[in-house]
Amino acid sequence: MDPVLPDEAVELAEAAGKAFAALGGVDLARRAEADAGVRRAEVVPVLAALGVDDLDPRRDPVSLAAAAALCEAAGRVALPHPLAADLVRDDDGRPTAAVPAEVPRVDHADLIDGWRVGTLDGTAGGIATAAARGLGTRLGPFVGDLTMEGDGRPPLVDLLLHQVLVAWTVLGTLDRAVALTVEHVSGRVQFGKPIAAFQAVQFQLADAAVAVAGLRELAGFTLWRLDQAGEQSRADVLALRLHALETARAVLRTGQQLHGAAGVCDEYDVSVLVRMVQPALRLPAGVDRTAAELAEAIAADGFVGLFDHGGAAIGAAR
Amino acid sequence: MDFDLGAEATALRARLRALVSAHFDEGFLGAFTDDPADLAATQAFCRLLAAEGLLTLAWPVDHGGGGGSLWDQTVVREEMWAHHEPRGAQYMGLNWVGPALMAYGTDEQKARHLPPIAAGEVIWCQGFSEPEAGSDLASLRTRAEPVGDPSGADGWRISGQKIWTSYAGMAQWCILAARVGGGERHEGITMFLVPMDSPGIEVRPIRSMLGPHHLNEVFFDDVPAGPEAVLGELGGGWSVIKTALAHERVGIARYARCERLLSALGAELAPHWDDLPAPLHAAWARALVQVRVARLLAYRTVHAQETGGVPDVIASAARIAVTQCDQSVAEVLFSAVEHRALEAKAEAPVHGAVEDHWRYAQAATVASGTIEVQRMIVAKALLRGEPV
Repeated sequence: MDPVLPDEAVELAEAAGKAFAALGGVDLARRAEADAGVRRAEVVPVLAALGVDDLDPRRDPVSLAAAAALCEAAGRVALPHPLAADLVRDDDGRPTAAVPAEVPRVDHADLIDGWRVGTLDGTAGGIATAAARGLGTRLGPFVGDLTMEGDGRPPLVDLLLHQVLVAWTVLGTLDRAVALTVEHVSGRVQFGKPIAAFQAVQFQLADAAVAVAGLRELAGFTLWRLDQAGEQSRADVLALRLHALETARAVLRTGQQLHGAAGVCDEYDVSVLVRMVQPALRLPAGVDRTAAELAEAIAADGFVGLFDHGGAAIGAAR
Repeated sequence: MDFDLGAEATALRARLRALVSAHFDEGFLGAFTDDPADLAATQAFCRLLAAEGLLTLAWPVDHGGGGGSLWDQTVVREEMWAHHEPRGAQYMGLNWVGPALMAYGTDEQKARHLPPIAAGEVIWCQGFSEPEAGSDLASLRTRAEPVGDPSGADGWRISGQKIWTSYAGMAQWCILAARVGGGERHEGITMFLVPMDSPGIEVRPIRSMLGPHHLNEVFFDDVPAGPEAVLGELGGGWSVIKTALAHERVGIARYARCERLLSALGAELAPHWDDLPAPLHAAWARALVQVRVARLLAYRTVHAQETGGVPDVIASAARIAVTQCDQSVAEVLFSAVEHRALEAKAEAPVHGAVEDHWRYAQAATVASGTIEVQRMIVAKALLRGEPV
């Protein structure tokens, strides 16, 4: 029993953190929003220097953990790149992404020419080509709808891997949001003292930090389950996704609230993080659909505990 | 990265489950019921575990224990709690009175007290909380005055009141925190080992939704104690308490009972599962995820313990998650059984375990340190820049 990421993964995340900071951290996302070309000109070369092109998370458990840690580092700065999808490439180098059943919508849809996409139930998908441009909205500046070109549904396990890496990206965003909030409430003085001195503020911080700690442990466990059980881990991956979405809702709300009005201003990193993480939270499905899919997956396949009680919840009994 | 507890843990789990199922029927809901046979059954089970070498599995070999790993201890903690703590009231003696005696006891105290605990023959209670000293334990006021020699060499007289004392009515011994001399707060607190049949001790049960025997008031009126009753240094009681709490870092494995009940009730409801409201299906899925997260945070604490010590914040984070999980799961289970939530005992869902769990869960965020205190610990660590 060892819930800790291997050293190689931690070292890669540290190197990535430094490289992303050198590009400006969250400022990079602001600059990309102003000039989409920044993504290709600045982010792609840095990722190449970090060895992303040669990193295949399916190779071995250490590579899998390294990919997860790298996504966490990207989430911390809202890196303007579809890193989770880009790390799950098919044999022809196309990124893999889970998409809604209704439309092949992905973040940074214009950045990479060819994609391989599918639905999380494993029933639909294929090869797709890039969108000409993104939606250009505040919550999805780089989100676009791909054009389906032909057959070639990705293996379910690749879609599950994509979702696990997205959850790790969200984890990075949430962890950073808590740190930014701690920093803010420690410096913001009202009524003659830092607002961090108020217990009402402290309790919100504590709950947010515990929520992120729990998500981190679940993200690690799910990585291990995916490695052990492959596509049999679908319920586990949906569980991680559901928990990531619910944790995000609570933690980001706290982060914004404790920033006061600054929590919605582009000048503050927390506000940019909240906007830029939205595609990860809404695609391929939001909270309630994910919960419904998880409930169905559990009913069909069970939900293996860390130890067995002679039947996992509903499934084994049916 | 590996979340497998290993074949030995699996075997230990299977062995414990076999012992429990051989000695208790499905309707067993713990020692603290109206039926005295339940307490008697747990006492017999403790003696059996002792004979099997499982009662003191966690104790060091030097003290006659099994020298089990922290993960062995985790398995025992989980399996016992999942099955309504068939060790009854003895877990307190095993989990921390024994280890505190090992750390602070004289040779005579160890020789006198450790063997009966290891044999499963004695129940201990702890006299910590007082009416005016709950979360702020260091404000306790129960006093021990020396008789004759001011050093206490001639013995002591103890007076004061303790409250919320679990199992006081069935315990033979109490580990008692009392104030000696003029020290303020943490200074002056001294631990005493006091037989519960001493003259001057009165136990009054407090009726509660938890059921009988859980909560009591204990009054100490000029209770005599010999010099040999002092555990550790005079005025050094706070260190003993900290040691005691360190052994309780991970806390009760509440998630294990939650997981077992979700499994058991899931099986009972399976025939008409599809008829249940859709939001309940989702709530059930969420409950399973919450249980998993709580367990993983508890495991993080055990892992920290294994690799060099547990910062307060890590233990508190786990306690927050585990106690909240207990209450959320209680609500989901009750929602699922609908009007049958009001039934109890053998004829109720899962032989009354769902109803019993809901009542007991109401105290989860208060017992052994309130969730507010845990949040204060986490927040202060965050503001000091420590990782949570």
